[in-house]
Amino acid sequence: MNVTMTINGTKRSFDIDPRMLLLDLLREKGYKSVKKGCGEGSCGACAVLINGRPRNSCLLFAAQCEGAVITTAEGLGTPDHPHPLQTAFVKHGATQCGYCNPGSLIAAKALLDTNPHPTEEEVREALDGNLCRCTGYVKRIEAVLDVASGGKKA
Amino acid sequence: MLKHLTQFYRPASVEEACALLAARDSRNVALAGGTTIAAVNDTTIEGLVDLSGLDLSYVRRTSDGYVIGATTPVQDIYKSPVLTGPAGQLLRSAAGKIGSTLLRHSITAGGNLVALFPWSDLPPALLVLDAQAVCRRGVPKRTVAVKNMIETGPRHYLQTGEILTEIQVPEFGLGTGVAFRKLSKTKNDYALITVAVRITLQGEEVKEARIALNAVCKKAQRRLDAEKQLENMVPTPDRIASAAAAAVRDLDMTTDFRASREYRQEVLPVLVRRCIDEALHQARS
Repeated sequence: MNVTMTINGTKRSFDIDPRMLLLDLLREKGYKSVKKGCGEGSCGACAVLINGRPRNSCLLFAAQCEGAVITTAEGLGTPDHPHPLQTAFVKHGATQCGYCNPGSLIAAKALLDTNPHPTEEEVREALDGNLCRCTGYVKRIEAVLDVASGGKKA
Repeated sequence: MLKHLTQFYRPASVEEACALLAARDSRNVALAGGTTIAAVNDTTIEGLVDLSGLDLSYVRRTSDGYVIGATTPVQDIYKSPVLTGPAGQLLRSAAGKIGSTLLRHSITAGGNLVALFPWSDLPPALLVLDAQAVCRRGVPKRTVAVKNMIETGPRHYLQTGEILTEIQVPEFGLGTGVAFRKLSKTKNDYALITVAVRITLQGEEVKEARIALNAVCKKAQRRLDAEKQLENMVPTPDRIASAAAAAVRDLDMTTDFRASREYRQEVLPVLVRRCIDEALHQARS
């Protein structure tokens, strides 16, 4: 079957098996920022924005995304022009092994898109589906709050 | 993995979706958010009928309460500015305790009710709110008590070619208090105990008491004996304690690796009592 979606601003069509999960399709097509962690919606490493909503791509059939606008971490910024959240994650040491970072960044972007000035509690809740086993969680919360404050909390 | 899945349908109307589900010899099943179906191993399913194109995602105020579309993500319930009264508060409280933020953007109101797991958080809230479910089989529709649907088991309750399209929840206004508690090892983990309570007062007496549980039993259920301990009486600490004790009595308590039967038996009445106290406090204020 055919499915058409806009990924990071580019409209793309794919011939897929209806069993295919969005996570597998994205990785197969080169969006390697989307990670496979638990495969059951617990870790958030596979999170992408779908029509503005942060969702686990491991629990979505690719066929469900017909006409969807999808953003992966590749769509946030580039090494030369990183997204402010990416810059803040580096600055605050919110990255070690890096495996959770794409999903965490997506969840953080979804929060700031709808709530530009969240409280710490709101940041914690927005990232509650993204497990991180390196940084102890505090640094990425500081990073998001830094971006939300326009760098004033640096 | 759905090993034998070969078809994926995207109907544009409820009628079309129901026809696909009712098709003779079809092995089609309805797909809402997908968090259950995408993770299961099922070799019987051959077709998925995606309900996301049916315009069933909404939370609206009506003259006597709220209507929630079946494919509304539970995150939208949690954050809804429309849900303002006690019933609305209970819905938001229950919806906000479902899984993680990422999962709440995928899990739908209808899916949480129809899939009906022991850890589902909306069903006990819907039970204490006397909610109704609108089920459609193409054009024909019936409005049924969520309580009946849960008692039968939603998947058995729905006829072939029938889908849940909307949940209707009455609002109760002044004199009503609600409480919802979920006990789990972490915020996102499956519930060990879920308690929902609604108390509606008439003067000093309890006019209606609703106490529902989940996670301690195979599926959400009201505790009628516990409710009777409070109804048509002035609630005293002794009566509240009796109601909490009755909520546990004759309950086929779940035991699993997360928590033993004995642990749940010990903690459940405490949570029920706290929920009743909280609901009463709100009802009186």
